[in-house]
Amino acid sequence: MFEHDFLALFPEIFLINATIILLIYGVVFSTSKKYDYPPLVCNVSWLGLLSVLITILLIASSAPLTVANLFYNNLIIDNFTYFCQIFLLISTASTVVMCLGYFKEESLNAFESIVLILLSTCSMLFMISAYDLIAMYLAIELQSLCFYVIAASKRDSEFSTEAGLKYFILGAFSSGILLFGCSMIYGFTGVTNFEELAKIFTGYEITLFGAQSSGIFMGILFIAVGFLSKITAVPFHMWAPDVYEGSPTLVTAFFSIAPKISILANMLRVFIYSFYDPTWQQLFFFCSIASMILGALAAMAQNKVKRLLAYSSIGHVGYLFIGFSCGTIEGIQSLLIGVFIYVLMTINVFAVVLALRQNRFKYIADLGALAKTNPILAITLSIIMFSYAGIPPLAGFCSKFYLFFAALGCGSYLLALIGVVTSVISCFYYIRFVKIMYFDTPKKWILYKPMDREKSLLLAITLFLISFFFSYPSLVFLITHQMALSLCL
Amino acid sequence: MEFAPICVYLVISLLFSLILIGVSFLFASSSNSAYPEKLSAYECGFDPFDDARSRFDIRFYLVSILFIIFDLEVTFLFPWAVSLNKIGLFGFWSMIVFLFILTIGFLYEWKKGALDWE
Repeated sequence: MFEHDFLALFPEIFLINATIILLIYGVVFSTSKKYDYPPLVCNVSWLGLLSVLITILLIASSAPLTVANLFYNNLIIDNFTYFCQIFLLISTASTVVMCLGYFKEESLNAFESIVLILLSTCSMLFMISAYDLIAMYLAIELQSLCFYVIAASKRDSEFSTEAGLKYFILGAFSSGILLFGCSMIYGFTGVTNFEELAKIFTGYEITLFGAQSSGIFMGILFIAVGFLSKITAVPFHMWAPDVYEGSPTLVTAFFSIAPKISILANMLRVFIYSFYDPTWQQLFFFCSIASMILGALAAMAQNKVKRLLAYSSIGHVGYLFIGFSCGTIEGIQSLLIGVFIYVLMTINVFAVVLALRQNRFKYIADLGALAKTNPILAITLSIIMFSYAGIPPLAGFCSKFYLFFAALGCGSYLLALIGVVTSVISCFYYIRFVKIMYFDTPKKWILYKPMDREKSLLLAITLFLISFFFSYPSLVFLITHQMALSLCL
Repeated sequence: MEFAPICVYLVISLLFSLILIGVSFLFASSSNSAYPEKLSAYECGFDPFDDARSRFDIRFYLVSILFIIFDLEVTFLFPWAVSLNKIGLFGFWSMIVFLFILTIGFLYEWKKGALDWE
């Protein structure tokens, strides 16, 4: 009945099986008296990294030539999901690489966090390829449940517990809103499949006070609000700074990298493919402006690194939504380029944050005189900060430029204007890092431990990609164009 | 419609239990107020030694969580068990996969020691 479907789903099946085997392996050997209760977290994370890499190979080797709908139209595989899934797995792999040293130093003896990261990765794979409201919701919930647990994984830290609780409450609330939106849509159309929804909504004037469509309007509105709070767009961003600050750093890194890809992919599928309609565009337009402004202004007042990065990611979500609210192919393509570059930069900056671990690197002022104690790391961080700020020859500039270009192309000059102004404002706090590292002399010099090889490799690769993105951007442009096309056509 | 007798049954049993409680009030002697000791907490004849609050044992919590999980498992098993002759071998094996994943979870908590009560 489903033999080809299982073949197409082979990467996910492999990843689930690998996760199960790792779970059993971890629990059997970490409780074994014979081996003196070994801490298995490094071991399990290497194996987890290996299984993620094998999953990448499996997905990459089964390049789809056409579109395939799986399991009664519950899942879809096309070029868009193909590249998104590979990108997601690469970013998960780099998060796991980042936290190898963290586990060793923190003596955090919970191999379950790796198992949960793998499980949430698998659910994000399903999220990217979800083609039905129910499949989408189930994938989102599996991912969020794993996230709640790993946010609160450091049980002896009050901050982590608080972050987990906050994340859980607000995440459950936003899931409830999303689910209510789904049930409104289902109640007023009678279908949950994205393809059938797309058929229903073509040329269907959805207005709040339309004869038939006020329920559909509310449904779309609630789904949009649920998604916006999952991705920390501004009016619904309340949880993000606290959660990002409170949870353990590797978890923060994972939160700010991986779910952005999957949720944006899912949102693109829902809003561009199914509900393609100007009703939600105004909402995203507003959220984009608000996120850009708040991201730029609130980050100025931050002293703590992780909090600042949280606000910076809120701001970047705002920039990405520029591409969303255009709704043109160029807009979607620029959004995808923006996600790619944002994830690259975030991997890099969190690798730096995780590398600076001596006596709890928490405040930005702790970076003082890094240019003297570790000049190469200081240069790396400066380049990343310049790239975040959008200084010309770096990748961050390309992404912002292309986003603003798309905004101008679709005629929303206000978005482009506010984007440029806020990115100029945000230069202030990105460049403050550079000022602190190079020109401040702190009272107490902090010597950081040298980082491990895995992290330095990761830093080198991402730094290379960011610095030399402009010299050969055509590959990324081609891929994102193909993704945007396969989504729209 | 089969629920109507059950509702009636519920009401009648409520009334009946109220009657059973009330009858003892009717016939009991009202000499309670004479012995205030009768109202104190029973702790093997002694006065209570210390504060009645105690740290809550996490194992109760674990057991109730496990109960919720396996209770849900049973909810999924009911429709499967009823419709087993219609869904064929494929339905059978899908449920076996579900049970296998739950068994993995069970194995995990067993090895982790969540079921030990020592």
